[in-house]
Amino acid sequence: MAPAFDTHSGAAAPRLRIGRWRTAGLAAVLIAYLAATAYVAHTDLGLQSLVLVAAVFGILAISLDLVAGMLGLYSLGQGGFFGLGAYATTILANDYGWNVFGLLVLVLAATGLIGMAVGAMSLRVSGLYFAITTFIFTLVLTVLATDMVTVTGGLQGLLGPAFPDFPADLEWLGTPLVWCIMLALLACLGLVWNIRHSPLYPILLSIRDAEPFAEAAGARTAAIKVGVFGVSAAMAGGAGWLFSFLGVVSPSQFDWSVSLNVLVMVLIGGINTSIGPVVGAMFVSMFPNVVNINPWLQEIVYGALSILAITLLPDGVVGIARRALARRAGGIAPVADAASAEALPAAPTVAASPTSPRDSEVIVECRGIEFGYGLGPKVLRNIDLAVRRGHIHGLIGPNGSGKSTLANVISGRLTPHAGEVLLKGIRVDGMPASSRSRLGLRRTFQAAQLVKELTPTQNVMVGLFDRVPRIVGRAPLWPMLASGRRDLSAMQRRASEALSLVGAGDWTARQVADVPHGIEQLTQLASVCVAGPDIIVLDEPATGLSAKEVRHLAAILASLKTQGVTMIIIEHQTRFLFPLCDRVTVLNAGEVILTGSADEVRADPVVRQVYLGE
Amino acid sequence: MLQFVLSGVAIGSIYGMIGMALAISFYVTRIINFAQGQLMMVTVMVTAELASSGYPIWLAALAGLACSCIVGILSYVIAVRPILLSNRFSFGWLVSTLGFAVIVENAAAYIWGPTSQAFPPILNGISLPIGGAVLTAQQLLAIVTAAVLAAGFEIVRRYTLFGKLGMATAADPEMASAIGANTTVVAIVAFAVSAVYAGVAGLLIGPSTFANPYLGDTFGTYGFIAMMIGGGTERPIAAMFGGLLLGVCAEGANALINSQASDWFPFIVLVLILIVSPKGLFSTSNPLFRPRRAAVTRG
Repeated sequence: MAPAFDTHSGAAAPRLRIGRWRTAGLAAVLIAYLAATAYVAHTDLGLQSLVLVAAVFGILAISLDLVAGMLGLYSLGQGGFFGLGAYATTILANDYGWNVFGLLVLVLAATGLIGMAVGAMSLRVSGLYFAITTFIFTLVLTVLATDMVTVTGGLQGLLGPAFPDFPADLEWLGTPLVWCIMLALLACLGLVWNIRHSPLYPILLSIRDAEPFAEAAGARTAAIKVGVFGVSAAMAGGAGWLFSFLGVVSPSQFDWSVSLNVLVMVLIGGINTSIGPVVGAMFVSMFPNVVNINPWLQEIVYGALSILAITLLPDGVVGIARRALARRAGGIAPVADAASAEALPAAPTVAASPTSPRDSEVIVECRGIEFGYGLGPKVLRNIDLAVRRGHIHGLIGPNGSGKSTLANVISGRLTPHAGEVLLKGIRVDGMPASSRSRLGLRRTFQAAQLVKELTPTQNVMVGLFDRVPRIVGRAPLWPMLASGRRDLSAMQRRASEALSLVGAGDWTARQVADVPHGIEQLTQLASVCVAGPDIIVLDEPATGLSAKEVRHLAAILASLKTQGVTMIIIEHQTRFLFPLCDRVTVLNAGEVILTGSADEVRADPVVRQVYLGE
Repeated sequence: MLQFVLSGVAIGSIYGMIGMALAISFYVTRIINFAQGQLMMVTVMVTAELASSGYPIWLAALAGLACSCIVGILSYVIAVRPILLSNRFSFGWLVSTLGFAVIVENAAAYIWGPTSQAFPPILNGISLPIGGAVLTAQQLLAIVTAAVLAAGFEIVRRYTLFGKLGMATAADPEMASAIGANTTVVAIVAFAVSAVYAGVAGLLIGPSTFANPYLGDTFGTYGFIAMMIGGGTERPIAAMFGGLLLGVCAEGANALINSQASDWFPFIVLVLILIVSPKGLFSTSNPLFRPRRAAVTRG
C-alpha cells in the first residue's frame, strides 16, 4: 500500500509559475505544428509525399528509440514489424475489403503481441545477440514476403489501399492522410515525451544500466522489457499501416537495411532524446530528394555521411545541442563533502513499524543453504542464519568466504541449490528479487548499481517504484494526469529528503557520473531508505568512504535501528561494524564458523586466527 | 542424395569461409563487419577486371586479394576504430560498417556498372565424377581450400603467440594492451586476414556467379547466417561448420522440395536452431551438447 503523499511544500509557488510558462510554450509549439500540418495538407503532392514519408519514418525511429534509448535493446526487428503492418493492411483491405480503421486496431494488437513474443524469446540473450535475433526476424519476414508470390505479389509488391476521404463538411481541412499521419506522429512524440517525464523513465534507465538495482527496487524487469518492446513493435506496425496508404508495398521497403537505416536515424538524430529520432528520420528520408546527383554517387555520399555522423557526433545532433545548452546554463559545484551536512536524522527516515524491537521474533532465516557457481566448488555449504527483528546483524569473513553470495541468496539475485530462505516466516527462495522487495526487503550493492546519466534524486526515485501505485500503467499519460503530477512532485520531494537525511543533499542536481564514490554509496542507501523497508541488506556500505563519512554512516544506521529496521551488514571494517551489531556471523570458506555478540566474536580464537589475522 | 550433399558441401564451404571471415574480425573486435560481403566482391571485381585486360589469372587473383586486404584494413581504420575508441560497448559500428558497405558497393557499381561481367573460369570447366555424382574441379578446390583455411586458422589461434595475442585481445583489450600487446596491430591483422578469407571465397565462387557489384549482399547475408547457425561468435571455426550445414540444407531443399526452396529453407533452419540454442549450434552455451573443453578444465 502506498503512503499518502501530501503535495504542499514551500517551493510550490515558483515551480507553479515555471509550469505555467512551460504550458504556454507547449501550446505555442502545438499550434505551430497544427498550422504546419494544415499547410502540408493543402500543398502539392510532391512536398506532401516527402513530408509524409519522413513522418512515417519518424514514427518508426521513435519506436526504435523507445527500446534502444531507454532500455538498451537495439532492435533490428523494426523493419519486420513495419512490413507486417503494411502487408496486413494492404492484403486485408484490398483482397478482403476490411475497414482500414478496424485494421489499424488489428495491426496494433497483432504486431504488439508478436513483438512481445519475439521480445520474450530474444531476451534470453542480451546486447548484441538481441540485435542479431531481431535482425533475423526481419530477414525471415523479407524472405517470406518475397517468396509467397501469390499472397504478397513477390518482388513487385502490392498497391496499397486508398485512404478514405473526409466527410463533406470537413473537406476544407485538405488531404485527410496528411492529418492522419501528422497526428499519429504527434501522438507518438507525446507518448514518448510523457514517459520521459514520468517516474517510469528512471526505472527504465535503471533496467538498462543497473538491472539488479531495478529488480531489488521491486521492478519485474523482464516483464517491463517485454511490455515496452510490445509497445515499440505496435508503434512500428502502426507506422506500417500508415505507410500502406502512401503507394506500393514491396519487400525491399522492409528488409534488414531498413531496420539498420532506422537505427542510423536514431543515432544521427540523438539516441534517448525526445525529438532526435524525428530529426534523424527527416535527414535520412529527405536526403535522396535534396541531394540530386548520380544515384550511386548519392549512395556513396550517404554512406560517408553516416560514418562521419556516427564517429563525430556519437550523441547525435540533438545530444550535441542539448549538451551545448547545458554548458551555457552552467552548474554550481557543491563545495561541501558528504558528511558536513549536519542534518542528522532526527526525523523518521522510514515508516517505523509498530512492533517493538525488543520482541525476539526471527525475521530473516536461512536454513541449510547450499550454493555454487556453475560447475565450480560449493561457495556456500549448509549455511544456517537467523536474524531477529530490529537487530543489526553483521556478516564478516575473509574475501571469498561467500558473504556477498549469501546476500544475493537472501535478496533473490541467486537461487540456492538447496535449503530455505524465510522472510517474516514466508518461504521466499523460489521468489524473484522483485517480489521480496514487496515483503519489505531492500538491499545495496557492493559496487554501486546506479544510472550514471541521471541525478541522485532520480536514482533514489527508482527506490519508490513499488510504493507508488500503477507507475507503469499511468506512464504513457503521466504529465497529463493530475494524480501523476502530484505523485511525481511528492516522489521528488521524498527522494531529495532521503538524500538530505543521508547527507548527500548537496548533490541532488548533479549527474551520478559526476559525483564522488562516497556520494554514490549514500545515494544507494537513500534509495533503500526512501521506501521505508523493514529489512535492509547492506553489502560493504563503508567501502570507499572517508573516515568522516564512515562515522556519519554509522550514525545513520544507528538511527535506522531505533526505528525498528532490521539490517544485515556485510563489512570488512570491524571497527565501524562491531559497535553497531547485536549479533555477528563469521563466514569462512562458505561455512558459518560462529554466530555471537561482537565481544564473543572478537574473543573467539578461531575467528582471530582466520579473520583478524592473529 | 550424394549429388546434393557434395554440391551442398561445396557451396557450404564458400558460406563457411565468409562466415569465418565475419567471425575472425568479430573475434578480435566484438563487432560484426557488415562490409564483409563487399570485401569479397572487391576481390571478384578486381580479379575479373585484370583478367579481362590480359594479365595471368594468378596475378589477377593476387592483386584482387591485396585490394580487398587494403579495403578491409580501411574498413577497420575508418568505420570501426573511431567507434571503439569512443565507446567499446556502443552499437555505433552497426551504422558505420553498414555505411562503409554502402560506399564500397556503390563505388563498385559506379566504376564497373551494375551488370555482371565475365570472370575467368579457373577450374570450372573440368568435371569429376564421384560415385554417382558429378563435381567440378572448382567445387573440389573450394572444399579443399576451406578445409585448409579452417584448420590453418585453428592451428594459428591455438599454437602460436600471435593467435594467443588474438585471444587475449578478444577477451579484454585493455588488459591485453597493459601486458604489452599492440591491440591495434592485432585488430588490423585480423581485418586483413578476414578480407583474405572473404576474397578467397570470392575467387572460388566467381566462375559460377560472374563478377557483379551486388554480389556482396547475398553472400554477406549467407556468411552471416553461417556464422549464426554455427556459433562463430564464440569460436570462428564453428562458422565453417555452420556454413557446411547451411550449404547442405540449401542444396537439399532444392533437390527434395522444389527449385525455389533454397531461398527460404535455410532461414527456417536458422530460426529453429536459434530457438533451441540462441548462440549457435556449436557454441559453448548450447544446451544440447557442450564442447568437451568446458567440462575438462575443471579437472
